[in-house]
Amino acid sequence: MRAAKSAYPLTWRIMDALEAFAAFVWPARFGRAIPWLMLAPALLLVGLLVLGLWLIGDASLRTLDTSTFLMSETYTLANYRRAFTESLFAVVAWRSLAGSLMVTAATLILAFPYAYVMVRTSSPVIRKLLLIALFLPFFIGQVVRAYGWLIILGNQGMVNEALSLVGIAPIRLLYNYWAVLFGLVQYMLPFAVLMLAPALTAIPEELEAAAGSLGADWLRTFRHVVLPLARPGLVGAGLVVLTLSLTDFAMPAILGGGSQDFIANAIYDQFFRTSDQGLGSTLALLLVATGSLLVGLVFTLFGAGTLAMGRARQ
Amino acid sequence: MREDKLTSLMLRRRRFLQGAATIGGVAGLSSLGLSSAFAQEPEKPKELIVRAWGGSWVDALKAGVSDSFTAKTGIAVRHDLTEDNEIQPKVWAAVAQGRVPPIHINWDTTTNATKSALRGVTEDLSDLSNLKNTTDLAKPVGLDGYPIVNTYGYVYVLAYRPDAFPNGAPKSWKDLLDPKYKGRIALYNDGIGFHFPAQVAGGGKLEDIPANMQPAWDFVAKMKEQQPLLGEDPDFTTWFQKGEIDAACTISTNAREAKKNGIDIKWIVPEEGAKFDTDGLWIPKGLPANELYWAKEYINHSLTVEAQQIWLDGLGLPGVVPGVNPPADLVDDPSYPTTEDAFKHLIRISSKVQVENESEWFSKFKAIMQG
Repeated sequence: MRAAKSAYPLTWRIMDALEAFAAFVWPARFGRAIPWLMLAPALLLVGLLVLGLWLIGDASLRTLDTSTFLMSETYTLANYRRAFTESLFAVVAWRSLAGSLMVTAATLILAFPYAYVMVRTSSPVIRKLLLIALFLPFFIGQVVRAYGWLIILGNQGMVNEALSLVGIAPIRLLYNYWAVLFGLVQYMLPFAVLMLAPALTAIPEELEAAAGSLGADWLRTFRHVVLPLARPGLVGAGLVVLTLSLTDFAMPAILGGGSQDFIANAIYDQFFRTSDQGLGSTLALLLVATGSLLVGLVFTLFGAGTLAMGRARQ
Repeated sequence: MREDKLTSLMLRRRRFLQGAATIGGVAGLSSLGLSSAFAQEPEKPKELIVRAWGGSWVDALKAGVSDSFTAKTGIAVRHDLTEDNEIQPKVWAAVAQGRVPPIHINWDTTTNATKSALRGVTEDLSDLSNLKNTTDLAKPVGLDGYPIVNTYGYVYVLAYRPDAFPNGAPKSWKDLLDPKYKGRIALYNDGIGFHFPAQVAGGGKLEDIPANMQPAWDFVAKMKEQQPLLGEDPDFTTWFQKGEIDAACTISTNAREAKKNGIDIKWIVPEEGAKFDTDGLWIPKGLPANELYWAKEYINHSLTVEAQQIWLDGLGLPGVVPGVNPPADLVDDPSYPTTEDAFKHLIRISSKVQVENESEWFSKFKAIMQG
């Protein structure tokens, strides 16, 4: 007797065929390789980065011959000697490091209350407004934002025009170190809020209520309950802001007036102005090393924060 | 199968007839004396890519050279506005790897172009027919042959806002050391254009360049106390327009551009002199033969009086072909030298000396200004 068509529908047959095809292409005995297959894109990406670093490392050991503008055939540590002995690079490195630390501290201080209000507010309207204000800057690039500050803070900008209304002569607000740091803080703020918000959401509101019911005022609750529990978010946000600030190029270039270079600007100069790829590579490697050391130090002292993806809590 | 063979035979026959017709045509034209023109003209590319600076710079090139070249040859010209410093490593990498370079012609500073010439990535342009009509300025100093053709010169003038100098125009670079100009001066961020006049203003001699430039660094250190802004070409025009600066060491074209935009601005060549330099056109190695031919034709065209007149009217700069007249607003202007006497006040140092020492000068200037 012939089986009814509904007993084994066409869709099942298609699935069988697909399964058979899949078994042919990827037999079950290959199953253990699936995790590696899924990791392959990431490994490829990391591999390319390592290859790039290797090539940069190779270039860093070669000097530029200015009679032919070719790199030397032999290896030398001359570029590293220049990087460690020339005052220009010490000044720029110190400025970048100090600047990124100050920007990180200021950004976290400003981002924390913003993220806290955004997470805890009971008003959906306020939460939406804060979210819109947070995401809007992401649609505007860093360079455009920096040029925006030129319009606002320039000699003929909005701030100086407002000051002139009360009889104050124009003040040079741009083209100095503080202008660069100000621009960086404004640029980093959304990143920090986005990193902090999940950590603050994970703190049960009941804990704060319990602290209050036991007699703790708002300040003690914040200091002994909220702040320690928000540590993973603070560490994660701090790391992101620190590394992005340390390697920033556009803000020092646009708001610094040419005299407030960070390391990235010095690297650009070597690659594209003096055509010295060797020295540029050396500075790039030293920047990578400095950033890695800082991140390692923070990991050692405070853990990886939210970047540990929950492992830190185990 | 038989049909295939037939088609193939027909195609071959068609090709043969086409070829024969072409040969016949060329033979006919030859009798009319046009054979040499056709023999010299390889296949035309659809377009030539010329790297250029943006804004008024590319507008002037387009109006003066590119449009008339297209009208003459039918070859479109695309302008690639990648920065000169950024196209350089791309071209160098392409030549080193045996790839076709990303541009056909590079409009470049002579200093930058000299680096490429020393590296051996430039085509020789000695066979351009219009070179015989050019002045000595077209020849790059310190290099063999014509790896670059200089197309005009320019002066790094002292540009100033007359309002800020109520007692009259500045006469010397030292006038900028007046404390009232603190934070109101601008220089190029690598010091280009300022090193050589600083050598004179600092009490040194031009003959001592590059062996002893301490007077220049001493003067740059004094200028550092004035907290100058450091920027690039577009910054100067913007800063003048926004009232951020009163004076700058900049290429006269930038000052003229600000003036065209309605800013009250003048410029001088100070008593210590001002740096005179050139820009040029060059072709990277690695182009297919026909594209190389037409790229050379483009540069050859840029050396005609007609092309130079329109191009350099736009830039306000003196060309390399006799017979080009200065724009009305620049007649007898020190930034538009046309006589031997006018050149006496300008400082010109060989590009080879400049590129060999640029890195060191750049580092010293930066070290002073970033300190």
